Amino acid sequence: MRLLAVTVSLGAALLVMTTANSYAAGGDAIFKKSCASCHYTDGPAKEKTIADQLAKKGPELFYAGSKFQKAWLAAWLQNPKPIRPMKYNSLTEKNKGDHPKSSAGDAAALTDFLMGLTSPEVKAGVIKPAESPQAKAIFNKKMPCTGCHEFSLKGELHGGKSGPSLVGVSKRLNPDWIYAYLANIKVFKPVRDMPDFSSALSPKEMENVAAYLATFE
Amino acid sequence: MSRFVIIATMVFGLALSAAGSAQAADAKQMFDFYCAQCHGVNGDGKGVNVGKDFATDPRNFTIAADMEKRSDEDIRGVIKDGGPSISKSPLMPPWGATLSAAEVDGLLAHIRQLCKCKAK
Ligand code: HEC
Ligand code: HEC
Repeated sequence: MRLLAVTVSLGAALLVMTTANSYAAGGDAIFKKSCASCHYTDGPAKEKTIADQLAKKGPELFYAGSKFQKAWLAAWLQNPKPIRPMKYNSLTEKNKGDHPKSSAGDAAALTDFLMGLTSPEVKAGVIKPAESPQAKAIFNKKMPCTGCHEFSLKGELHGGKSGPSLVGVSKRLNPDWIYAYLANIKVFKPVRDMPDFSSALSPKEMENVAAYLATFE
Repeated sequence: MSRFVIIATMVFGLALSAAGSAQAADAKQMFDFYCAQCHGVNGDGKGVNVGKDFATDPRNFTIAADMEKRSDEDIRGVIKDGGPSISKSPLMPPWGATLSAAEVDGLLAHIRQLCKCKAK
């Protein structure tokens, strides 16, 4: 009986210690240890050449807090399903879906850390999710967006595979970031295989397209 | 001609051809990064984006008979301003805000190498 009591309290003490431990480590410390080999978090963007971009093992995260929705990020880090149909920086290999998984505790700490990394280029609270005939025409017909991006239509997958999938953008991306990205793409990604549309679309058109993408299931 | 001049000429020639191939490598790298998404690494129009939904086949650059019909000016224009600038599909994006004039020239030269052809 006594032995049992000792064992139980020892076990409980251990449990408290280990959980306390993983909560104690801040998101930035976990990030340095487990994530910084593939992602950088100190802006501005570092890439100058195609070779610089191809040398990256994962997307830059220095504006993660402006780009992602918090709830999505916390869930994705624990269960990271592919975002890009193809492997990062590859046009031939499929994305194997082998992103490192984080525990619930680590994911919460990492999310707090990443959501703190915001960009002054993104004005908050301007773009509200909305469909419009103009945005639909641009996305589906007038511009080549669907050539490179997957999207869902009545539950069926359509579109190209070289860009990140736009399925589920309504839960993943911040609408204000989508607008900033279209309007000022070089600040976020100076070297990328998506064209700069700032001369092809007016600011109003980009606002409408951003609002439209923000409705994507 | 002294032996020195011959050797110097050879070295200079080697340096020149090395510079030439470095430039070609850059154009190939740009092609693989920007264009191969749709036109394929071999320029045959079979890029990863070309699936059931792709309404227009991307141009196959290896068919000289088709590519001879395009002037260099047309090719530069369609790279910069997109398909609609020569009444072709909007699936060909406008790259003018992304690429410099020199980069567009490099891609044009690479495309002419793929078709092994000139404008007729
Ligand atoms: C081995 C390299 C590698 C490591 C280590 C790694 N990642 Fe990633 N990460 C990637 C790649 C590649 C992608 C793109 C995945 C996709 O598109 O499905 C990615 C995507 C992401 C994204 C989405 C970014 C975007 O723009 O789409 C976030 C957020 C992220 N990682 C966070 C983390 C965190 C936090 C850690 C540490 C726990 C981590 N990653 C560790 C390679 C890595
Ligand atoms: C030639 C292919 C191509 C075309 C055309 C294209 N994109 Fe992209 N897009 C990409 C690629 C590749 C990326 C990822 C760039 C990177 O992360 O390096 C991207 C990224 C994006 C993102 C960010 C997604 C994320 O999760 O990071 C959005 C939003 C987007 N594109 C919207 C559009 C819209 C709207 C259009 C049409 C006006 C468009 N794209 C046209 C290739 C393309």
